[in-house]
Amino acid sequence: MSIVAAENTGFWAWLMAPKRRGALLVTPAIAILFVMNIFPLLWSFGLSFFNFRANRLNVPTFQGLENYQRVLVDEKVWERFQTTALIVGSSVMLQLIFGFLLALMFAKSFPLRRIVLMLVLTPMMLSFVSVGVFFKLFYEPTFGIVSHVLNEFSSEPFVMLGSPGGAIAGIVIADAWMWSPFVMLLVLAGLVSVPKYLYEAAEIDRASPWRRFWTITFPYIKSLLLLAILFRTIETFKLFDIVYIITEGGPGSSTETIAVYLYRIAFQFFRTSQSSALAYIVLFVVIVLTNLYLYAVNRRESEVG
Amino acid sequence: MKYWNMIGGALGACVLAVGLGTSPAVSADITITMAAPDWPPTRFMKEHFDKTYKSPAGHTTTLEMDFIPWPSFYERVAASLTSGEQKYQMIVTDSQWLGAFVEGGYYLDLTDKIKTDPELGAIMKDLHPALVSAYSTYPHKTRAQLEAAGEVPAPDTHYYGFPQFPDTYVTYYRSDAFCHEGEAAAFEAKYGGKLPCTYEDWQDVDWEKFAQIGEFFQRKAGEKLGDTVLDDDFYGIAYQAGKGYDFSTMQINAFIWQHGGNIWDETNAPEAQAEGVVNSDIAVKAMDQFLSLLQYMPPVAQTGQMDIFVIQDLYMQGKVGAIVDWVGLGEPVLDPKASKVHDKSAFGPAPGLRKADGSIDRTGNIGGQPFVLTTWNSDEVVDEALNVVKWWLSPETQLEAVKNGGQSGLVSVMSDPAYNDLRPWNRAHVEMIDWQKDVWHIPEFFEMLTQQQEEFDKAITGQISAKEALDSVAKFQQELLEDGDYIQ
Repeated sequence: MSIVAAENTGFWAWLMAPKRRGALLVTPAIAILFVMNIFPLLWSFGLSFFNFRANRLNVPTFQGLENYQRVLVDEKVWERFQTTALIVGSSVMLQLIFGFLLALMFAKSFPLRRIVLMLVLTPMMLSFVSVGVFFKLFYEPTFGIVSHVLNEFSSEPFVMLGSPGGAIAGIVIADAWMWSPFVMLLVLAGLVSVPKYLYEAAEIDRASPWRRFWTITFPYIKSLLLLAILFRTIETFKLFDIVYIITEGGPGSSTETIAVYLYRIAFQFFRTSQSSALAYIVLFVVIVLTNLYLYAVNRRESEVG
Repeated sequence: MKYWNMIGGALGACVLAVGLGTSPAVSADITITMAAPDWPPTRFMKEHFDKTYKSPAGHTTTLEMDFIPWPSFYERVAASLTSGEQKYQMIVTDSQWLGAFVEGGYYLDLTDKIKTDPELGAIMKDLHPALVSAYSTYPHKTRAQLEAAGEVPAPDTHYYGFPQFPDTYVTYYRSDAFCHEGEAAAFEAKYGGKLPCTYEDWQDVDWEKFAQIGEFFQRKAGEKLGDTVLDDDFYGIAYQAGKGYDFSTMQINAFIWQHGGNIWDETNAPEAQAEGVVNSDIAVKAMDQFLSLLQYMPPVAQTGQMDIFVIQDLYMQGKVGAIVDWVGLGEPVLDPKASKVHDKSAFGPAPGLRKADGSIDRTGNIGGQPFVLTTWNSDEVVDEALNVVKWWLSPETQLEAVKNGGQSGLVSVMSDPAYNDLRPWNRAHVEMIDWQKDVWHIPEFFEMLTQQQEEFDKAITGQISAKEALDSVAKFQQELLEDGDYIQ
């Protein structure tokens, strides 16, 4: 009996039957997803109901919702949420403004446009750590470039990270510098998709620039802008690297985002169960944000429809 | 002839078998993987091991160093230990981590080994007691408690670590500025005292004089420093005042102890309290003095980011007159490729607080790191790792380490007449080591440290006063320690 014949009649043939082939092909991907994502997710969810600490030998005991209660009444958690909201709001706003302006600029042709566009896109291709280190050095008051430039106008060194407001501004600027090009790309995609004849018709109708923008350009980029807001809000909500490198959450705890605080609880204090509970609360916030976006998109589609 | 060969071979095999049977030492290939911070003292250990180590047990031993950058060292080690990967046989550890990782079951208790192995016992007796107290004991025993016991190992004491690199902070200063006649005359005219130039002069520098030095050497770009015209602003003094890790606690603890205050005393648990001690009037006064000197430091002090590496860098760039920093960071200062002040730097003891009798209290928070063994090692690996410990703490290896920028914790090595001349900071290190105490070792140390660093940072950046910072620290520690049954 040949091998082919054996394959056609045995387990192999059963396995490779057309009705099972599809499931077989996706099984490796699902297995990896389960091992790398779903299992840890479920495991940490389970942990959030115990009093487990990864650096102790004690046998964990069931605590019900106590970790969630502890996290929700923790003043520090709410302070960190407020700090995060402030940074998210300011940074996403700046990214939208600069991303939009850059997109308007690159929607027109000018000499060396491609090269300039490539340079403008560079920040978002850098690693968070590099950007954090760059900006930390830029802001350094003794030899940093910001202080050196401002020293031309003042005899005192410029200490940007010395106050809570300055430190938050420092982080927002770094984050906005890095991610404005991303917003620009999305907006630019909307801008180039606007049919030129609409602008020509508007020009014939002598519509003002603002009217042209509001009635022609904006509807085309509105959904992409929403997408940019959502992506950047979710990403900035999880902001960790830049904050940790530029300020380590200081001065005091004035720039400590919820992600940095979560990291401290999990990997410095080893309150593993409590950090799992906080992580699920953060996940819940992100899911709410995502649903808000989906709601907005669906509403937009129904309006258009 | 053939049969004789066979008989001879059989006899030889028998002799070999009997020999092996009676001797437990069978040579083996042993690899010891050690988690180590990536810096010169551990790099030297690896190089010197590869060149000189011969296993007394006849093993072929390889020391694999996993060099980890300092900023992520704790997290990387903690992640490895708690993940259960059992990657390391030895670990270079900060003394504060002992409690967290002993309680987690990761660090091996070496008390019985020290009791039964005369060589290890002799090493422990020769180590400076401040180092044994800080680096080895958990639950923590003070130097006074160990000395009162009068024996090694002390009763009811558990030992875990041996010094890999004992560190103290000393003063680095610019000899071109401090020994300049014109500067000395100007200083004397302004403050009526001598500008310290020699080591002996620095032995008489207290915090008040250090503040005068700070004020005196604050210069703007274009002004003169000694015979040179400055290109950039110049600052008189600097010490650590950073938010990260323990980069203000180490210096503030020194001020508190020198003033006669205290931190929460884990050796007196459960009676020792945090509230009323941590925020005592003495502690507040001490911290106020710490804060008062920041005005003479580089502007980065106002950001709360003036850590040990930043002050080292500013000093090497020629922007500060004198800094108080760890001995372990001294070697790059003398490197012409890295330092602008490599040929004009000298070292003295760290300043302290002058007492009523005129003496200076230099009590400080010990730095450096011990190395420990992990619990999952086989007996064979434990024995070989202890051979590595004996090799590292042998006088010959220690002297080589010192010549290459390290430090020794062995009293016999430090009292060698040639020791002080091996590196320019050695004399200061030997003087300072006698003043060393340590911060807490309990598993909750990181929570206590992080909260304290945050509050200290607020005070350093002018958001709150020293009293507000210490009140907050005391309240937090009291609650945390009561929750953990450390305070009743």
